[in-house]
Amino acid sequence: MRAPLAIAAAILVLGGLIASVLPEYYLRLFNLSAISAVAVIGLNFAFGYAGLISLGHAAFVGMGAYGLAILTTAWGWSPWLAMPAAIATTAALAALIGYPLLRLRGHYLALATLGLNVSFYIVTSNWIGLTGGTNGIARIPELAIGSLALSGEHRFLCVALVTLAVVAALAAMLHASRHGREMMAVRDDEIASEMIGIDVTRVKITAFVLSAICAAVAGCLFALHVRFVAPEDFTYAHSITYLAMLIVGGEGTIVGAILGAILLTFLPEWLRFLGTAYLLFFGLLMLCILVFLPTGLVGLGRRMRPRSRKTAPSTSVGVPEMTS
Amino acid sequence: MADFIQLLVNGLAIGSVYALAAIGFVIVYSATGVVNFAAGQFVMFGTFAGVVTLINAQLPWSVAYGAALAIMALFGALFFITVYLPLRRGSIVTIIIGTVAVGIIMQNAALLSFGSWPFRLPSPLEDRVVNLGGAIISTHALGVVGVTTLMVAGLWVLFNRTSVGIGMRAVAQDLQAAKLMGLKVNRLLALSWVLAAVLAGVAGLMLGPMWFADVNMGDPIALKAFAATIIGGFGSLPGAIVGGLFVGLSEVLGASYVSSAYKDLISFGIMILFLLVRPQGVFGEKIQDRG
Repeated sequence: MRAPLAIAAAILVLGGLIASVLPEYYLRLFNLSAISAVAVIGLNFAFGYAGLISLGHAAFVGMGAYGLAILTTAWGWSPWLAMPAAIATTAALAALIGYPLLRLRGHYLALATLGLNVSFYIVTSNWIGLTGGTNGIARIPELAIGSLALSGEHRFLCVALVTLAVVAALAAMLHASRHGREMMAVRDDEIASEMIGIDVTRVKITAFVLSAICAAVAGCLFALHVRFVAPEDFTYAHSITYLAMLIVGGEGTIVGAILGAILLTFLPEWLRFLGTAYLLFFGLLMLCILVFLPTGLVGLGRRMRPRSRKTAPSTSVGVPEMTS
Repeated sequence: MADFIQLLVNGLAIGSVYALAAIGFVIVYSATGVVNFAAGQFVMFGTFAGVVTLINAQLPWSVAYGAALAIMALFGALFFITVYLPLRRGSIVTIIIGTVAVGIIMQNAALLSFGSWPFRLPSPLEDRVVNLGGAIISTHALGVVGVTTLMVAGLWVLFNRTSVGIGMRAVAQDLQAAKLMGLKVNRLLALSWVLAAVLAGVAGLMLGPMWFADVNMGDPIALKAFAATIIGGFGSLPGAIVGGLFVGLSEVLGASYVSSAYKDLISFGIMILFLLVRPQGVFGEKIQDRG
């Protein structure tokens, strides 16, 4: 129970401290990275814990965002009511999609989820009656408590950080729980897991639905922050970015998910001086991290620790997990 | 009827291009086990190799095409050394993200060198058309179908009648055994990347006059090639051809008979359906990756 609380507290304190020194413009990026971090922690359930390669995560973020946008603008719901409804709908859709899809593995699952994301884009940009097509949905109402509007970057950050802290704490709790271990067992050896009585299909679908729920939470936050949704925000390129955030940060870890989300959100800003060459450099950087730092930023931190701690015989060969 | 014939030929032409892209993808996948997410950018490079030799250097088209394909062969070799060799020990997801990163690099390198304006790549058959029972058909479309047929025949000869091709198949089947038999495995692996790049080059040169030469053309082609590969069968050459033609036909026929907005949904819908019901595709062998 201590680790989840510690993580939540660290996010709130560090996030608050960083936010207090950031100028207004960077605060917006900081909000966006917190939102991405929620989505990436979700992806970590599917990929980091259960080993499911999903290239369709942005579609679930989009389902959450569109769900909230449609309920609040077309149906006039309050965002507080629309949010759980959008999240529940996304979870139901994920279970429906996951049931047939999760029989696939590896490349096949990657390509199937990629096809899912492309299909989501085609539907959202053409079902004009529901989604407004490529024009998207604007004028999403702001979140408010009573008469206190949670708009503006500072106030929104409170919402984003609290959500991130809760999601991260829940993720840490899951990791330490029986269910989390089941997921990792399935990731490491599916047949052996089946042998010891784990219902592999159920575990995979649970991981997939949990990841979709986090994605939908991120999508709702995104819709409430930007207050505009369009198909361009949820393409498969965004799915790949989420996966890249997880890999760059360090797969399988919560801290890695958050670090990766922050780094890849701020990187375009830091590299602005490169102008149009930015994406070229971004690709090169990604490639270098994959080749030279396969365990991500978290792995780098671990590698720099004194070597004496490594001498204890270790039998685990799985993906490292943050424990402190 | 005339309309239908016209659509059929156009569908076959665009399908041939998808098929060539898919064949390149399949050759690399069978030999190296790498799902190349930069496959679409390979085709884009092929088109822009044509822009360099045909438009910038103003070479006569036979020389220009040869030079463009030579550039692509060189690029394939370079890719093998700088990307494949360092990444080959990585996990599936490392390779996916790695090839995506390479795709981003390629796309933006092209953007920096050529700008975002599309080029009009000429066809050696110019813009001539033939009238076939009332259907107006461009000779370029017919040429594309013809060239693809020749390429496929050439590949069949390569893989069934030459020692190099048989060696490549041996590597694809069992790398360790191929090594034990004394085959130069690395050279054959490099050759499969070169072959994939050259095929993408041919596809790119043929696609240029049909679409515009645009630095963003890679992604849509890659997605169609993935769909073609899944429908035809992962790792199967005849599958890539059938899948490519199917995707091209469904795109052109679907756009005019069903809905132009949802034309891509047809091929992706069928791709997902195949993954669920018959993941080995039309021609693929039984696969392990299914629980």
